[in-house]
Amino acid sequence: MPQPPAPTAVVADDERLMRDQIVGRLKAAWPELVIVGEAGNGREAVALVRSLEPDIVFLDISMPEMNGIDAARALAGQAHVVFVTAYDQYAIAAFDQGAVDYLLKPADAERVALTCQRLRERLQRKPVPMDDLLAQLSQRLGGGETKPREYLRWVQASVGANIRMIPTADILFFRAEDKYTRVQTGNLEALIRKPIKELVDELDPDEFWQIHRAIVVRVDAVEQVSRDLRGQQIVHVKGSPERLEVSRSFSHLFRQM
Amino acid sequence: MNTDSSLPGSGSAAQPGAARPAAPTAGTRETLREIRDAMVVLWWRFFDWLAVVPWKTLLIVSLLGLILAGLLGTPQLAVLLIVASMIIKVVAGGKRRADLTATQATARAETEQLERTVVEARMEALQAQIEPHFLFNTLASIDQLIQTDPPRASRMQQSLIRYLRSAMPQMREGSRPSLGQQVALSSAFLEIMAIRMEERLQPVIDVPEGLKSAIFPPMMLQTLVENAIKHGLEPKAEGGRLEIGAEVVDGRLAVRVQDSGAGFAPRSGGGVGLANIRERLKVLYNGRAELIISLPPEGGTCATIAVPYEVAPAATP
Repeated sequence: MPQPPAPTAVVADDERLMRDQIVGRLKAAWPELVIVGEAGNGREAVALVRSLEPDIVFLDISMPEMNGIDAARALAGQAHVVFVTAYDQYAIAAFDQGAVDYLLKPADAERVALTCQRLRERLQRKPVPMDDLLAQLSQRLGGGETKPREYLRWVQASVGANIRMIPTADILFFRAEDKYTRVQTGNLEALIRKPIKELVDELDPDEFWQIHRAIVVRVDAVEQVSRDLRGQQIVHVKGSPERLEVSRSFSHLFRQM
Repeated sequence: MNTDSSLPGSGSAAQPGAARPAAPTAGTRETLREIRDAMVVLWWRFFDWLAVVPWKTLLIVSLLGLILAGLLGTPQLAVLLIVASMIIKVVAGGKRRADLTATQATARAETEQLERTVVEARMEALQAQIEPHFLFNTLASIDQLIQTDPPRASRMQQSLIRYLRSAMPQMREGSRPSLGQQVALSSAFLEIMAIRMEERLQPVIDVPEGLKSAIFPPMMLQTLVENAIKHGLEPKAEGGRLEIGAEVVDGRLAVRVQDSGAGFAPRSGGGVGLANIRERLKVLYNGRAELIISLPPEGGTCATIAVPYEVAPAATP
């Protein structure tokens, strides 16, 4: 019977010390295993696995560019995956369901030996894509595809020579002025280029209401709504003396308030 | 309390009376209004007193009033006043008393709410400083260095001890933490991260010695530093610079953390750390402090906390 080819592996971790550690311990526990490549982020790991086609890939979970879960998903079925993580209670709970193996940093020699033992057995079979587990993990890590819609939480505006990030919670209202939109907070005003029409789509409708073609107001900043002599509704906001008129098409917002 | 003192009708009743005398000046009209307002305030104060005063006290006061009125020769008026007071107390006193208690309860609830916010902020600061990911990763790195580079392992371990030690006493009640302590904490943290991230993290600490005795709230600088690494430099494959700076501008101490990292996502709803800093600044300084996030033209993110510049009383050595 001919000698089977030596098993190969790629190790991915953004910290070199941690890669060295894994590589060192693997060498001790499994001398025949050949480490064919090392990657410093998820994207590199995917590229390396695709070009070198190793049997096994060791993936750190938190890495720049692309995390370990997404890398594993991109590589579904192309290599046996072992996750490596320093601390992640949720991930560990999921791994305990047994689909793939995981290593906790710093992995002790016995634990690495056990992983190598499992891998030897598993190398006889094709790698499983483990879609369910990855989806589950990804969700626990706060990612996943089922993200709720994200609204604008910060507005990027020029203040003097600087660009500031203004939290939407500080904004009293937006008002269209010529080519710009004015952002008004309790202690500063700034101009942005984004037109009101686009802002309305990006802001949380529970947080901001459009009351006029040219005005969007933060609901919590509204102090009172009055009427002027012509019956026009006027919104007064806390922290600014400015009077904001409500146009007829939006007047239903404040009826019976 | 007397928001309801401007009773409807009283204004219009006074106006014609004031207008009748021959050409009254604006001054007399002003005086009349002031007198009217004073009367209204006095009446409500009397009413409040009436509502809460015990019957026994009211009886004694009435008796004294009766004696005094007898001496002055107007007992009928006094009797009328006393009877009217008792009727008012019986009829409206209960409701007014309930109102007053409700107002007090609201004020107390507001104070409690504020206290709770402070406690919560403190709790979050406590959690923020024990980041298990950081601790386990650092221990794993030390474990590796012990085998490959023992002197470096020892330096890293000492940085970790310094970090933990300076993070611990921050919760002590009543101590006013200085900027120096906060910078020491963050530089220990950065030393550790620089060993782990190697060339991907280039920390620069530029805080004038003279500003280290300034008072600065705990764990805010550290939150900014952790954010800069987590959201700015770690997501970027090549990493970058992280600079801590401090200066006094217009009587305010501005502490700045600037990175050359991935920039700032306007949709990042996260920002729990930043929201927490804002909340704590509000509670601690009541509008006299602020957190400013800006995007420098050269890229990355710059976060600045500006607080009133105060120097901690010199500690006994």
